[in-house]
Amino acid sequence: MDENDKPKRQEVIETEVTMGTVHSAAIEPYRVRLFVEDEIVRDAEITVGLNHRGIERIMEGLPVEKANSLTEKICGICSNSHIWNSVLVAEKGLGIEIPERASYIRIIMGELERLHSHFLYLAHGNEVLGHETFAMRLFYIRETVMELLRMIGGNRVQYGVSIIGGVRPRCELDLMRIQKISEGMDLIEQKITEFADRFVSDPMIMSRITGVGVLTKKDALRLAATGPTLRSTGVDLDLRRDMEIYDPFEFDVITQEDGDVKSNLLMRVLEIPESIKIIRQALKNLPSGPITDRSWEMQDTGIIKSYIEVPRGKLLHSYALEEGRVRGSIVRTPSITNIGAMQQACIGNHISDAQLAIVQCDPCFTCTDRAIKITQIQI
Amino acid sequence: MEIFIKYSLAVIGTLIVAIFVGLWLPGIERKFVHARIQQRIGPPISSPGFMAPLKFFFKETIIPNSPLPRLYNALPLIGLLSIFSILLLLMPELYFLDELATVTAIVGILKIEEVIYVFMGSLSRSIMSLSMPFPDIVKGAKHPDVQRSFLEDLSAMRAFRLIAFGSFPIYIAIFVPVSMAGSIFLSDIVSYQQTQGPILFTLAGVLGAIVFFIGYMILLNEYPFAILKTKADVIEGPYMEYASKYRSYIYITRGLLMFTLGALFSALFLGLPPDILSWGILVNIAVALIFPIFMAIFSAFAPIFTFKQFYPVVVGFSLLGVLSLVIALF
Repeated sequence: MDENDKPKRQEVIETEVTMGTVHSAAIEPYRVRLFVEDEIVRDAEITVGLNHRGIERIMEGLPVEKANSLTEKICGICSNSHIWNSVLVAEKGLGIEIPERASYIRIIMGELERLHSHFLYLAHGNEVLGHETFAMRLFYIRETVMELLRMIGGNRVQYGVSIIGGVRPRCELDLMRIQKISEGMDLIEQKITEFADRFVSDPMIMSRITGVGVLTKKDALRLAATGPTLRSTGVDLDLRRDMEIYDPFEFDVITQEDGDVKSNLLMRVLEIPESIKIIRQALKNLPSGPITDRSWEMQDTGIIKSYIEVPRGKLLHSYALEEGRVRGSIVRTPSITNIGAMQQACIGNHISDAQLAIVQCDPCFTCTDRAIKITQIQI
Repeated sequence: MEIFIKYSLAVIGTLIVAIFVGLWLPGIERKFVHARIQQRIGPPISSPGFMAPLKFFFKETIIPNSPLPRLYNALPLIGLLSIFSILLLLMPELYFLDELATVTAIVGILKIEEVIYVFMGSLSRSIMSLSMPFPDIVKGAKHPDVQRSFLEDLSAMRAFRLIAFGSFPIYIAIFVPVSMAGSIFLSDIVSYQQTQGPILFTLAGVLGAIVFFIGYMILLNEYPFAILKTKADVIEGPYMEYASKYRSYIYITRGLLMFTLGALFSALFLGLPPDILSWGILVNIAVALIFPIFMAIFSAFAPIFTFKQFYPVVVGFSLLGVLSLVIALF
């Protein structure tokens, strides 16, 4: 290398510590730049896009049923949410009314997935805290949910429950399945109650999570945070209340005030019984009748958007239909809108707590990393 | 000559017992305590302390990215030798070394073991830190006025802080028997307890033992005091880049340190130094087993502390240690 080509030393002002893309605390590929002063984070920057897959591009021109199946591959945690919302786009565009029983099964799947996601969140949060025992026990409780999901969908990750017009026939809930889900809910409720009691009464954990990664209500709104991250700052906003499909169900929207790690963890702990409540109501009032309506006809549509509340917040799916094929698909996951909140939450914390501050926003960068920018849509 | 051979055999025998027991301690900690508490199967008992170091001896040696690679690679061996020397000095057969067989010499050698982490951290650049390009450089717009720090630098700074205050509890606890026996010589401390009974059975001894245990956990970098190797940021900390036999030395050092600190406790608080010629060696082994088990139970139910939690705990136990010292003086 020529002497002149060597980079010149810069005047030292800030210290930058960079974590990722491969890091033991980050289970997904992302890079965090932390600008620190005596191990206290003064600024943070998160870089994603390192695992780009371009699913929207692959979806372009695919038959809508195939494209819907593909959306399930966006995420391994909220796969059902993606296919559900993608199917909703088509149903909305084609004006399909699905059977009521199918709606109830979708709700059950959605809430089971919320349980699975929240348990994963709590376990990962404890892992980053360094509390391996709690992490292991939470994974153990999560197994019950995973087995229920497998029972209904036939798979632990990709369930393929929702199809245009309802749910797949193999996902029908017979009496045996209803009984098993009901027993599972009893077990999970008991276990989460025990866990919550021990968690909040542990002074060491409380000292680690209280006042760490604080996100104010003002910042959360300014940075367009969504889902539990937003609700943990005291904003009472849950899209499920606006979703017609949730109208028959009674549940409380949980909010916390402090916006710190403690609030976020407690948010999930308290949301779990609410999901159980919804599942129980769905099982109790499960309507009889068909679960699929295949009498719809394909037609061209303009761009249709659908928003639903998934475990991490507001999920957008949007596409148009042209001769039964998908055009101009756009997916916006909650994690992409929460990145600003994650960066903000890191500031002012010890560097060991930076990952915790990111994790508190429940990032799913694998979901997020599939996006590509479509500048012009020709229909 | 006969005595020399006898003493030599005793020293070698004690060392073999120490190594043998020490190599199994990490496995016992992980298999029988952590895994049981966490309701999982856990690793084979021989894996963490015995098979893993053995395996690493046959692995390819990777040349580290270090400004002083030879020194960097020598550090684990220095750590291992320092622990060996503490164990040797604890043996009654070597009490004739006078000034070396003292509590102050042991404290000094323990400090070497602590200091090497500062060097390890400051002399290495892990592939995780180095080979992953910084985003601004990749984008062709290098951020000016920024000093780029690596994960190992962080752990070096933390190791320095730990030397400064983290090891207070164990050193204060070590001086409780000194205060009671009125001597820094190990031989005097042991003989004091043979006539007066074990220091552990006094109030000062009990308090000192509690403080010693906390110091033991800090010195071993065990949860919740694993600030030197916090998975959430510095991952494995100063020894992240060690491979092959050098990593093996680190594993062996940890196992041997567990035994040696147990033996130090036995000698200082029970009056039973490690000696294969005495039945007291069984007490040494028992203490070496009990300490990791208690440590594992405690660590299994604790998150990793940051300095915010670390400082008050260290200050609190140091004050308790001072109290036990004061009680010991009267």
